[in-house]
Amino acid sequence: MLHKADTSATWAVVGALGLFFIGGLLTTVVPPLVDTTWAKPFENSDPAKGPTGKLLPYTGLEKQGHAIYVREGCWYCHTQQTRTLLADTKRSGWRGVDSPVSTPDEFVFDAPHMFGTKRTGPDLSRVGGKYDEQWHRTHFRNPRDLVQGSIMPPYPWLVDNPQEFKAIVAYLQRLGRAKNWRPDGDFEK
Amino acid sequence: MQDQISRAEVVATSTPTSTLVHEDSTAKWFLVSSVTYFFIVGIVALVIAAKFVWPDLMGTVPALSYGRLRPLHVNGMLFGWLLAADMGLSYYLVPRLCGVKLWSEKLGLATAGLWNLIILGAVVSLLAGQNQGLEYAELPMPLDVAVVVAWIMFGINIFMTIAQRKYPAMYVSTWYIMGTIVWTAFVYLTGNFATLFTSGVNQANLNWMYVHNAVGLIFTPVGLALAYYFIPKASNSPLYSHKLSMVGFWSLAFVYVWTGAHHMIHGPISQWLQTISIAFSVMLLIPVWSAVYNFFATMRGQWQQLRDNVPLKFLMSGVVFYLLTCFQGPMHSLRSVNAIVSKTDWIPGHAHMAVLGAFSFFAVAGTYYALPRMFGKKLFSDALANWSYWLFMMGGLGFFVTLWLGGLWQGWQWNDWTIPFIDTVIALKPVWLVRFFSGVLMFAGIIAFAYNVLATALGTSSTEAAA
Repeated sequence: MLHKADTSATWAVVGALGLFFIGGLLTTVVPPLVDTTWAKPFENSDPAKGPTGKLLPYTGLEKQGHAIYVREGCWYCHTQQTRTLLADTKRSGWRGVDSPVSTPDEFVFDAPHMFGTKRTGPDLSRVGGKYDEQWHRTHFRNPRDLVQGSIMPPYPWLVDNPQEFKAIVAYLQRLGRAKNWRPDGDFEK
Repeated sequence: MQDQISRAEVVATSTPTSTLVHEDSTAKWFLVSSVTYFFIVGIVALVIAAKFVWPDLMGTVPALSYGRLRPLHVNGMLFGWLLAADMGLSYYLVPRLCGVKLWSEKLGLATAGLWNLIILGAVVSLLAGQNQGLEYAELPMPLDVAVVVAWIMFGINIFMTIAQRKYPAMYVSTWYIMGTIVWTAFVYLTGNFATLFTSGVNQANLNWMYVHNAVGLIFTPVGLALAYYFIPKASNSPLYSHKLSMVGFWSLAFVYVWTGAHHMIHGPISQWLQTISIAFSVMLLIPVWSAVYNFFATMRGQWQQLRDNVPLKFLMSGVVFYLLTCFQGPMHSLRSVNAIVSKTDWIPGHAHMAVLGAFSFFAVAGTYYALPRMFGKKLFSDALANWSYWLFMMGGLGFFVTLWLGGLWQGWQWNDWTIPFIDTVIALKPVWLVRFFSGVLMFAGIIAFAYNVLATALGTSSTEAAA
């Protein structure tokens, strides 16, 4: 085959695509068929198995907030995954409680997904309920008013638009809450 | 015997057939517009680097905020500059390797026109916040469709040219360009269309398959096609081994596509899939080292040419950067290394070495080599070309090395959770300042390069009308 490809464009293309499709199909089409947790929303009522809770579909307002998060490119600087690293569970934790690691079943309704690749700012996979609405208002207007040394850009146009502000906050407050990981539900509103 | 074929071909293609005159108008249009975008998007690059140092810069204008300029930088550099330049150089070298004219200059010019419309559409839609929310696949649906149409037009033109070729044996660059065309078609469809019917981890997996192979099966094969063509040409030495180039090609075709999940090592994706992606990431060393060995061996006894041969300087520096970036990649996929460098500023250092240091260097070299031949006149200034090399080199090295050091430091800090996150941000401020000034040097390199290209293309000492 390889020698024929030397003089035949058809053989070269058939070979190149054939080899490509082996790996292509086995790593994209097959995995979701094998690992069904990718598509099954998180649900657990047995505390012995870890945090309880249920992943609900997005409400209209949360969906709008997600769209704003996408539009403004928040995902270029904030990841949404608490990885299987001790440091990640500590950093995503809050008030002395470690965060559970992120699992595929927590992200079933995310489209587009917001896992991200770069942490210029902190990870947001468990940010829901850590800060109240007033904190977010001040922070979006000028992050440096609350966090000295932050390099996050200001987003005054979000705060100045009541509907958009309500939506982005509703989205942020939802993140990571499918797993009810706080010991006494001490989430901020 | 295989070696003789490649030697014969280099000789055959270095003696121009007296009757064959290449028109090259498609290649000219692609190159001139890609170089223009290189310059324009270079400004965007500088602005976003500056925003790391001065976060309030242009901070109250939504269209000029970081979150909108970053995708413009990435898409503009990948599709406006690099892919367009690669396509332009493919229109130049495929007819020459086949010993025939390009199948249709008319179709080629229409492709160039459509490509320019796509890039202009991308600028407008990305600044307006029209973002699909998937990395490298940010462009809205109508533009995705236009990209597919343009790619089909490009593919038809190249394949019809190959079908009419005079030499039966195909040189390795021809395979790589054919591979690029067919792989890109499927990789692009996966990343821009299949992702829209999925969500969550399944979508992320398709997204990373696309992101990884946008580099691995688009920019790598077409970049290698350029290197395989221009290194023997610019050094006037036959390629060391045809057989070795086959090893590289077929191993690339097989192993690259398996590695998408290495973008989510330690993340919420099945462990066995992470392990598969790690195993195949390490196997990437096979295609990389076979290509790099071939290039070095081709240069044996010819290294003195690097003193004053600017295209060759870009090419061989690009080969070294290719070797380094493709050593980093497999190493990053190892779980222990990944736990330190993943998500840090190391990664942009790595990514820029691939796209700028390796593949853009190949495209710049090809442009310097091909442009005077296409226009039938001398390059505007050899000295300026040499300056552009050193500016790119100094700026690039400054950029890569500071981000690696900074990223490594950042990764160690993150793994010590007693250090508050904001302190790890503040620690990197000097790194980002050096990165900005390295960016200024790189941008000066772009100016020198773009000015040289445009002055050559539009200059008055023309023997034929400029494009």
